[in-house]
Amino acid sequence: MIQSALKAKANKKISETKPPHFYWARLGGRVLLTNDAGCSVWLNEKDFRSLLGGGLKEGNPSFAELSENGFIRTQLNFDDLSLKCKRKEAHLQAGPGLHIFVTTLRCNHKCLYCQSGAINQASKGTDMSWPTAKKSVDFAFESPSRGITIEFQGGEPLLNWKTVEKTVRYARKKEKDEGRELGLALVSNFSLMTEEKAAFLIANEVSVCASLDGPEELHNRNRLYAEGSSYKPTVKWLKYFSAKSEKQKGENRVFRPSALLTVTKYSLGRHKEIIDEYVKLGMDYIFVRSLAPIGYAKNLWGTIGYSAEEFVKFYRDSLAYIIELNLKGTAIKEKMAVMMLKKIVRQDDPMFVDLRCPCGAGIGQLAYDYNGDIYTCDEGRMLAWEGDELFKAGNVFKSKYAEVILSPAVKACAAASNLEIQPVCFRCVYKPFCGVCPVYNYEAQGSLWGSMPSNERCAALKGIFETVFLSLRDKKSGAVLRSWVEK
Amino acid sequence: MKKKEIKTNGVFFDARFYSPEAVKLAAVVFSGRLGVSLKKTAQGTMAVFGDGEESMAALRGEFINEALNQQCRMDLGRKNSRLARIVLTKALLAACGDKIKSGGKK
Repeated sequence: MIQSALKAKANKKISETKPPHFYWARLGGRVLLTNDAGCSVWLNEKDFRSLLGGGLKEGNPSFAELSENGFIRTQLNFDDLSLKCKRKEAHLQAGPGLHIFVTTLRCNHKCLYCQSGAINQASKGTDMSWPTAKKSVDFAFESPSRGITIEFQGGEPLLNWKTVEKTVRYARKKEKDEGRELGLALVSNFSLMTEEKAAFLIANEVSVCASLDGPEELHNRNRLYAEGSSYKPTVKWLKYFSAKSEKQKGENRVFRPSALLTVTKYSLGRHKEIIDEYVKLGMDYIFVRSLAPIGYAKNLWGTIGYSAEEFVKFYRDSLAYIIELNLKGTAIKEKMAVMMLKKIVRQDDPMFVDLRCPCGAGIGQLAYDYNGDIYTCDEGRMLAWEGDELFKAGNVFKSKYAEVILSPAVKACAAASNLEIQPVCFRCVYKPFCGVCPVYNYEAQGSLWGSMPSNERCAALKGIFETVFLSLRDKKSGAVLRSWVEK
Repeated sequence: MKKKEIKTNGVFFDARFYSPEAVKLAAVVFSGRLGVSLKKTAQGTMAVFGDGEESMAALRGEFINEALNQQCRMDLGRKNSRLARIVLTKALLAACGDKIKSGGKK
């Protein structure tokens, strides 16, 4: 009896010295530790071994930082840690906030990397009708999410302007009637933009976004436009909306336009020219996005694709250059880094549907096709256009809201992207901040859950996280990065 | 993990390490690329590859990796299923909002 009590006491002592659950990786000559609350600490090898062995003393210079961040078992502040967890995982309590409306499949561009299944602008039968759009708005408003964003996409949404116009008016009225928070966004190539359309968008507080792949020659190489330069209207209207935003007088909020960069093989090695183009246009942000082997890009992968390693080099060079510009007084941020930093530095949830656990498919976003079919996400809709309806969750005319959310497609995506049961991910140092994409896995590796050791998306994300963490550790770069997410 | 190889166009998965379900799931993942027939014995599961357009040597390696991936996923699922279910249920219920109260029919 006494012996077993002594044994229990001895075991208790051992368990008290054992650090609580955490993730770690050796990086840049030191050891990075992270935990589920989103806290992170750097240790040297000696201190890391002491921590593992339970021999790290209170007098050690790292002890206070480890204790404050939840890495010392006897000094865990559960109130603080649970608050951080709740804030970082706010998406688990939100519901679908992003609603993508494919207003038409028609497009006047033929971009090399198109993922939207766009077809010729003269084609018929692929425009979203007004009744379908109205029903889709009603459906989106069923979401319990406090904030709802309706994003008009295509094809080129301006080719179905009448429906866009009516939908904007209807959604704004519904917002007022129901007391909801509504964001409206238009993703366009701007080739069909007019003063009249722009005035309507500004009056109704619709933010605009366009692809901008860099200098004119590079942009036009990626984004083929039969009627001339794709670059010219893009730049013209980005400048127009920027000027309107700067001169706004208060009645309506005029949002700054945003631009999206898609990196193709042609972009590699040209990061400075591309970033300079964004700076020249006065853009606040650049979003360095990698290509995914989905849609047209899959067929052209040999021509425009690249390895994860090549992309990570491009990203690393880009971020270094952006930080350098910031240090010289030019304010421009990289969007992916900003979203990661919100999690890493502030333990906040940027509500980015691509980088969360479970992924945002269905539970964070829904994509509404021109005919009212609902998909877990726009990438899932693209697959249906190629003949595979695995990611279809319902139809606005036939399905109830809860039926869509509890559809096999949504449940399968949520289960497959749960990092707690994803081999490799569950012990990855970046797990508290990362997420997998079932559509990518399915397209690239043949299954929803994929296989991370050979997954190129995983390799690219690891490279980006590594770049961000190492930049944060550097005094000068870290100060710039932290300033991007200061409240 | 040990695998006893019998034929060049097939792999034997030892039952002590690989469940038949893991090998079956790997075969499903590969179904778009080549046919795989499975034969279950007391000692394990024999996977025999049919004809495909890709290099058999590379495919064998990939198939073995996929079976290992599936086995790890199943083992991990058993270990972490409680936590995984909490996360999943929370996300789905939050996305449903109050619509779930009427059994998903509202």
